[in-house]
Amino acid sequence: MDSRLTPAAIRAALLAARNPDGGWPYYPQHASRLEPTVWALLALARDANRPAEIDVVVRWPGKDGWLVDGPADAPVNYPFNALAALACIDRPDRPGATQLVTTIAKQLVDVKGLALQQNDAQRQNNALQAWPWIDQTFSWVEPTAWCTLFLKKIKTLAIPGAAERIATAERVIRDRVCHDGGWNYGSSNVYGQELYPYVPTTAITLLAMQDERADPAVVKSLKYLEANVTSERSSVALSLSAICFAVYGLPIDAIGRALAGPAELSRVRENVLGLAMSLYALSENTHAMAAFTL
Amino acid sequence: MPWPPSRSSPPSRAALRRDQSPHWPDNTDPEGPFSLSRRHFLAALAVPVIAGTGACGRPSQTTPYVAVDFRLPRRSTMGLFPAADYSVDFADLITRGFRELGVNVAGKRVLLKPNMVEYEPGTAINTHPLVVAGAAVACRRAGAADVVVAEGPGHRRDVEYLITSNGLYEQLKEHQLRFVDLNHDDVHEVALRSWFTGMRSLALPVELARADFIISMPKLKTHHWAGMTCSMKNLFGVLPGAVYGWPKNILHVRGIPNSILDLNTTVRPSLSIVDAVTAMEGDGPIMGKPRALGFVAIGTDFPAVDATCARIIGLDPQKIEYLARAGEFLGNIDDSKIEQRGERPSRYATQFEVIKALEGLRLSS
Repeated sequence: MDSRLTPAAIRAALLAARNPDGGWPYYPQHASRLEPTVWALLALARDANRPAEIDVVVRWPGKDGWLVDGPADAPVNYPFNALAALACIDRPDRPGATQLVTTIAKQLVDVKGLALQQNDAQRQNNALQAWPWIDQTFSWVEPTAWCTLFLKKIKTLAIPGAAERIATAERVIRDRVCHDGGWNYGSSNVYGQELYPYVPTTAITLLAMQDERADPAVVKSLKYLEANVTSERSSVALSLSAICFAVYGLPIDAIGRALAGPAELSRVRENVLGLAMSLYALSENTHAMAAFTL
Repeated sequence: MPWPPSRSSPPSRAALRRDQSPHWPDNTDPEGPFSLSRRHFLAALAVPVIAGTGACGRPSQTTPYVAVDFRLPRRSTMGLFPAADYSVDFADLITRGFRELGVNVAGKRVLLKPNMVEYEPGTAINTHPLVVAGAAVACRRAGAADVVVAEGPGHRRDVEYLITSNGLYEQLKEHQLRFVDLNHDDVHEVALRSWFTGMRSLALPVELARADFIISMPKLKTHHWAGMTCSMKNLFGVLPGAVYGWPKNILHVRGIPNSILDLNTTVRPSLSIVDAVTAMEGDGPIMGKPRALGFVAIGTDFPAVDATCARIIGLDPQKIEYLARAGEFLGNIDDSKIEQRGERPSRYATQFEVIKALEGLRLSS
């Protein structure tokens, strides 16, 4: 089998990993999950230069207006709901898509991470409430970035309260930026120590802040990403970086070469999320990263 | 292929185990960094009649667990085995440990759970891949039916990056070991066997249920919230990030000591193999400094293993909240009840640097 991460090889691997219910798992022969399903739909559609087949998302099991991932009792995952809705934004032609987008948007506006008392251990403003991964937890960077990007994408819908939530989220993102740029899971300094930024989280957060390019946090984080983009040689890190660079108008050739390098596929063939992100990133010429561009 | 995770059929909804434990009221109003306040925790414990039963299955006013489910061993046995550095043959060392402690994995499906949080060159954040590989070889030599390496990193969700950067991937490849990404594995709802957190159930990876011999393989480190991370805290990595997010904040919000206890009572790992060849002191579990200690600790009584490691690095187990509570019902933390094989703890006894907030945990001189 081809050991290079070519679009054709990825496409074949992705199609082979699809479950009979129409969704995709994180790893083949596992249950369908929301996040890899959305990425696979976006990747396969854009690779073929046609709209995503979002029907599987629209009919995804739901509860109280949310899409539910995992067991029925599992907590609602807010960023994955935002990602799913993001994929449905441009599909008013599909029954239920518009309602899914507006329902999730309205509900996300009301979701806030826990506000914690300020403490000496962490250099951050604990009073700011952006988005948590799940209910009854603190605000973290990745969920805040996905929810922010989604609400910014649908600004024209004028969802009540969305503008205020976006503004708060941007404050959280600035508040949590690492000293030399970039973001990690969500804490930049604990007990006086500067914590390490991560490439994938930085790329996602820069996507959410693409309309604030002069912001100092964005400027230094983009510099961090440019300097470290191929330091994390994984399908997820490279793909998200490629998407981010393309959105910011930066060249992605070097990332593409790293992504498609020999022997990479053998390592990631079973990583469906990585495959889907890779295919989307490598198909930039057909879609111009439209799903993630404001 | 070493990389592919487990290959099993997706579980049906009907196969999901429904939680039967009593409901515990929500009481999350944290007052400290991510955690329930002591006041709220005590308030939660004030209604245990609906949450637990005491000895003989009768309702208890004091324990957030069914007391008859847990029995303190009269004595516990563990071992400290010398390993000056990572050039040691860890398969031989761990085989010796199995022999001295009477560990039997023959015919068992073994799950090795190392500690991998994130990776930075030159640090001692993760369990060393050679120790993990050595444990796998030792288990196979001892007749294990299957050996899998599984982890759900608490900060990094990109395991492809993590295992290739920290060297684990090379070991998986060399020894033809499967790796299961617990953050993104299939999950099912599991009833908790204690309710320190106030939660009644958690969605946990199905791979845990497939294993019948779980080995916790922590890196011995100081921990700026919990005091120390070792065999028991290592189980945070079984919580699936794709369900609960990163850094698995629900476990912080519900109280780290509480969460350590609930995960250990529920997952019930069989053995601990601690990488204390190079440990971490200071501001662990991420930003601390590597500190050579030179041993591997092995034992089946997790509180006993953790308490011994705590004393070796100069911390008092009775002052580490999760260990003090665990010593009441899960295992022995009293030195006089722990029989040591291999080397004596005094050979390695030292004083780890700790952050100012943890100075109060030190052993009294």
